[in-house]
Amino acid sequence: MVNENLVKDVVKEPYKYGFVTDIETEKIEKGLNEDIIKLISQKKEEPKFLLDFRLKAFKKWQKMKEPDWAALGYKKIDYQDIIYYSAPKQKEKISSLDEVDPKLLETFDKLGIPLTEQKKLTNVAVDAVFDSVSIATTFREELAEHGVIFCSISEAVKNHADLIEKYLGTVVPPSDNYFAALNSAVFSDGSFVYIPKGVACPMDLSSYFRINSGDSGQFERTLIIAEESSSVSYLEGCTAPMFDTNTLHAAVVELIALDDASIKYSTVQNWYAGDEEGIGGIFNFVTKRGKCLGKRSKISWSQVETGSAITWKYPSCLLLGEESVGEFYSVALTNNLQQADTGTKMIHIGPKTKSTIVSKGISAGNSKNSYRGLVKMGTKAKGSRNYSQCDSMLIGDQASANTFPYIKSQQPNSEIEHEASTCRISEDQLFYLQSRGIEFEEAVSMMVSGFCRDVFSQLPMEFAAEADKLLALKLEGSVG
Amino acid sequence: MEIIEKIKTNKSDENITEIQKICLHKLQSSPLPNPKSELWRLSNKSKLSNFLDYSVNEKDSKFDVPYPKNSQSTIRLIIGENCQIKIIENNYSIQQLSEDELQKYIKEQISFFKQNENWSDLLNLSLSCKNNILGLKINGSKIPPIEIFSHASSNSLKAKTLVIFLENNCDVELLQVNLGKENSSLSQSTFFCLKENSSVNHGVVSYGENRSNLLNSLNVIQQKNSEYNLGSLHFKFNYARFEINIKQSAGNAKTNIKGMQITKKDEQISTYTKIEFNGPNGFLDQINKSLADDKSHAIFEGSIIVPKIAQRTDASQLSRNLLLSNRAQIDTKPQLEIIADDVKCKHGATISQLNEEELFYMRTRGITLSEASKLQLSSYFQEIISFIPVSKDKWDLLDKLLNEN
Repeated sequence: MVNENLVKDVVKEPYKYGFVTDIETEKIEKGLNEDIIKLISQKKEEPKFLLDFRLKAFKKWQKMKEPDWAALGYKKIDYQDIIYYSAPKQKEKISSLDEVDPKLLETFDKLGIPLTEQKKLTNVAVDAVFDSVSIATTFREELAEHGVIFCSISEAVKNHADLIEKYLGTVVPPSDNYFAALNSAVFSDGSFVYIPKGVACPMDLSSYFRINSGDSGQFERTLIIAEESSSVSYLEGCTAPMFDTNTLHAAVVELIALDDASIKYSTVQNWYAGDEEGIGGIFNFVTKRGKCLGKRSKISWSQVETGSAITWKYPSCLLLGEESVGEFYSVALTNNLQQADTGTKMIHIGPKTKSTIVSKGISAGNSKNSYRGLVKMGTKAKGSRNYSQCDSMLIGDQASANTFPYIKSQQPNSEIEHEASTCRISEDQLFYLQSRGIEFEEAVSMMVSGFCRDVFSQLPMEFAAEADKLLALKLEGSVG
Repeated sequence: MEIIEKIKTNKSDENITEIQKICLHKLQSSPLPNPKSELWRLSNKSKLSNFLDYSVNEKDSKFDVPYPKNSQSTIRLIIGENCQIKIIENNYSIQQLSEDELQKYIKEQISFFKQNENWSDLLNLSLSCKNNILGLKINGSKIPPIEIFSHASSNSLKAKTLVIFLENNCDVELLQVNLGKENSSLSQSTFFCLKENSSVNHGVVSYGENRSNLLNSLNVIQQKNSEYNLGSLHFKFNYARFEINIKQSAGNAKTNIKGMQITKKDEQISTYTKIEFNGPNGFLDQINKSLADDKSHAIFEGSIIVPKIAQRTDASQLSRNLLLSNRAQIDTKPQLEIIADDVKCKHGATISQLNEEELFYMRTRGITLSEASKLQLSSYFQEIISFIPVSKDKWDLLDKLLNEN
């Protein structure tokens, strides 16, 4: 018989990224109105088209209602009680990493993100975002040799305004949803990636998002464009300190893949999830969408969601190009009072498009974990295929696991398969492992890791190791 | 929409019953379901308003049975025509429910009703007059098969209600046939209460004629150790909704559902099921098949709810769909809501067309394409039809499905 308490102990694990960096920051006043938006735009020295874009989005946002269809319960967000711009004070212009405030470097060092020269040996270029601004981007020269543009979106607005104007808001228009509209109005920073024609990006690109201030929201925006026959693998990580208040994070990610291009977007989300009573934690409302515009293009999302008090996130693919491919691999772990409503949307528009969805949900404690996904075959999606699989695992009898797949087909020459199952850690399996001398915690962790294997195998190597460790940490108690 | 006007004004008519009054009152503040709610989102608004366009006519035209009664022992009842029944034999009895029993049960049910979830029932009960409510109490075993017919005559909207109590240890086969005449709307609500150790093979066959509409709602409460088997078939309706609500009130019960809907032309037929387990050791095996052709739209939404108390539940739900035309549409949404941890729950959904390899194989054996498609369809239909009780021997539904239209 499994000892319920033992399982509960096993799933408890303190949050190790909860420290606050004591650094002087420049904040604007709380609240949201046109003047604030103009102020943000002015601070970032933006061209007029972008200010218009923001103001238009703000007008749309004012007319919109906060969505309530997700299986989430949280106290109402006061949008006027949030600081929409917060940046660490630093010298006017930074020409090299040496000029970055050592405190910031230290922070990222503590988080295990290599920004300093000696640690740059690993073959990953990093864009580090601290509250509202990008601190540093590594390996820029090396990437520039290949024609790859990797910089913060504010820099891109200044140096590559044409690309921004052409693509910003084309995948996720400001009117798309409430949080996308809010982001479009107030987004502060984020990453911009442009891979030119025929280039396979020589290294993995990565963004690391850190929320430091307790009363400001984070609204970053990421835009990745992969030109014909190019490819890139992009990693995203996030952490935040422990505060008793809830912090809002509303990001937008837009991916565009042209003919034969491929984008792999991996996320390990480990925002602070709040304490055992559900106090504090990040409200994570994210709109991520990729557009497979070109023929044979491919977009692959993989995510490991372990943090946030509230997760509302549906990375999607619009499959327009003939024979384009969309993939979604996800592991979502919820514990204590966390709530996650996550999944994907695969919209098949072009012919012979293919999509695969593999979603694994693990719910422990009093948490709520829902998979919500849409698979749609449009009238022109002849010869298209979709395969979805979503499995849930329940740990303890207080957690809930829901599955809401929406499936819609208007094309007889297409095939959709969906399957879902729910199980718990089997006592027989646990008994077997324990009888072979494996500790209880290790056995639970092994089984969870096995349950997530299909997804972990899709993550880039650096992340797979991190994700496995993260889950183990969250589940293994003192063992980790 | 005369009915909506009637509900809004709700003039206290002396002829209306207390139940009608309660339901009219419940509908008064918002007479129509919320079109944005999950259960009504996909429902065709103009078809629903067309449903409500016909006037309520309490008198029925003469009813023609769709097939002859081939065995003397079969008990045949037509709601609205012969509501008087009392059969008491050695091993079984079928009696009408008393006015009090009926009122008490329906009132209790209404108290759990929600505006969007039970709108069809509220509408039904607010329109259904005394003559059109049939309440039966069935007891015993070796009961001859029972057939119950409901129909709406042309150019009218009819509401018929059926309430059935299956007493302890009772075992019965029951076929319900809903017929829609040309240009008619039928609102049929059925309430089943299965007491301990009882079991029923329930068949629901609904078929319409040109431009007929149907709102068919089925509410089942299963007590311990009861077994409920449902085989259902809906076809040839301009607009039809089949809403199934099953509650295993204390778990330990078995539910098997095999349903099918076939849409052609510009028809829209939808099935909504909600199965709740309110106790441990529940069992569910559900399969729902849809076939959509021409410009039609078939919808399936099924939810399985397993609260903490329902440990060791074993539930599976499968939605299989055939899309035969590129102007037709299929929506399917099987869903699980689970809190209990020691459960086995799974669902699956597929949408495809006829298997080309199988068609090719048959054609290489000299079978024409249309024959080969028919063969494939008949195997697709057969699984469901063979599960529908009573009719399967004497009423060739398969032939009707394959050769009509």
